[in-house]
Amino acid sequence: MALLEIDNLSAFYGRAQSLHNVSFNVGKGEIVAVIGTNGAGKSTLMDSIMGMVKNTGAIRLEGQDLIGFDSSEIVKRGVGYAPERAHLFPFMTVEDNLLVGGYTARDDIGRNLAHVHELFPVLKQRATQETATQSGGERQMVSVGRALMTSPRLLLVDEPTIGLSPKVCSEIAATLKRLNEEDGLTILITEQNINFAMSLATRVHVLETGHLRISGTPQELAADDALNKAYFGG
Amino acid sequence: MSQILIQGLLLSGLYALIAIGFTLIFSVGRVLNLAYGAYLMLGGYAYFWVVQTMHMPKLLGILVAIGVGVLAGLLKHRLIVKPLKSDPVAVEIATLILAVVIQAGVVLVFNDSAKIMHPIVNGVWRVGGATVTYNILTATIASWVILIGLYYFVRKTHVGRAISAVSMDVKGAAISGINPDRINMITWGLSGALGAIAGVFFASYTQLSPSMWVAPLIIAVAVVIVGGIGSIIGTLIVAHIIGFMEIISTTLVAAELRGVFTMLLIIVVLVMMPKGLFGRGEL
Ligand SMILES: Nc1ncnc2c1ncn2[C@@H]1O[C@H](COP(=O)(O)OP(=O)(O)O)[C@@H](O)[C@H]1O
Ligand SMILES: [Mg+2]
Repeated sequence: MALLEIDNLSAFYGRAQSLHNVSFNVGKGEIVAVIGTNGAGKSTLMDSIMGMVKNTGAIRLEGQDLIGFDSSEIVKRGVGYAPERAHLFPFMTVEDNLLVGGYTARDDIGRNLAHVHELFPVLKQRATQETATQSGGERQMVSVGRALMTSPRLLLVDEPTIGLSPKVCSEIAATLKRLNEEDGLTILITEQNINFAMSLATRVHVLETGHLRISGTPQELAADDALNKAYFGG
Repeated sequence: MSQILIQGLLLSGLYALIAIGFTLIFSVGRVLNLAYGAYLMLGGYAYFWVVQTMHMPKLLGILVAIGVGVLAGLLKHRLIVKPLKSDPVAVEIATLILAVVIQAGVVLVFNDSAKIMHPIVNGVWRVGGATVTYNILTATIASWVILIGLYYFVRKTHVGRAISAVSMDVKGAAISGINPDRINMITWGLSGALGAIAGVFFASYTQLSPSMWVAPLIIAVAVVIVGGIGSIIGTLIVAHIIGFMEIISTTLVAAELRGVFTMLLIIVVLVMMPKGLFGRGEL
């Protein structure tokens, strides 16, 4: 059984439909990427998994349906989320942001915090800095760190590279890879940055205006002419 | 001079306590709870009933007042804020109406004459030409203890940090495993408790009357508006600005000016600095 099964998922904001019968799975230990341009529905997909959008279809975590549960319950069941624009607590310190992430996984706080500090040593140095005053890259690290504080079995990362320098992007990529390889963490990321997604993921899905168009391994997609035309301009 | 300093400090401590429960709700839910003054009234009358009507211990009076405040806060959240989905204007209209209804209820039960509350603590203290009642001194010390306690609660406990998290970013809080609705509920209960205990002290400083909810509400609104989206430290600072202004204006100019400067300050700040003096979203 896949860790995450998305089955015929549609998403609605009022009358507007942003996802149309999307289906795919994320196996345990995989890194799966969903790529798509602005407005394709990537954030909607992530928010749907977190129970923040009106949906039809099914989203299952280890076979258990998530639709209809509160975000807080979904977090408890093992989904960690680093959303677009981070949604950090701006006037709290880095340390307090991370501690809030430990709200549900209280027994793991010591271990998780040490692990986050090991992955992102800069967050330990900046422990008492308010996140409002941090750089975009550090904020992204706090965001991923806060998600890890929930002791997730599945980590969702929505466009982690948006607005970041290539150097910071590759740092984030290395950390996600490390989380996957060393801790066996299952990761679902969305990206507009195709190269970033291709370098990281074992499977890639292409989302276009709410429809899942193409799926495959990075190698298969790189060989796909239509896709290359659309996304690499050549 | 020392009279002004001492009276200012004492009054400001009480004002900070009055404002903090209101600030808390504004920070977390971004709504002005215009029935906040009614918590103070309910707390004051509950204490009065227990201690001066039923002749039971003062400590019990305070506990009953807190209980009534918590209950009022939770009911308000359940029956008004949640159904109105925290829509600020709707909640503000509904809470203002509620305050008037509670006032009518108090008149019905206790009649509309003002009541003098016995001091919670008897006696006076003379320092450097000033006289200070132990009652207001106790109120001020209690305010400080409560505010410091609240400060640590918000910073050092899971639920406290969650309250602060919801006040800064609801989505961020939700994906951290916090149920914002639940935190909102807890905050309304806490705000009710803080309002009720402030009401006991406020009533013992002034008097009990069915219209006593108006003055503290104005103080609380002023603190939020002048302080910007409330922080505990900001609340303390602004409470001192307002408290000292009031003492200075009433002792040096005219006693009739009580409250006028507070209202003028609200308007001036609204016009000049729409975000308040300390316009940040922290607790
Ligand atoms: N809160 C919202 N209310 C209404 N429409 C929304 C909302 N969020 C996103 N949408 C719409 O849903 C579609 C997908 O948006 P989104 O998921 O944010 O795309 P992406 O993350 O891929 O850029 C867009 O057409 C967008 O306008
Ligand atoms: Mg997006």
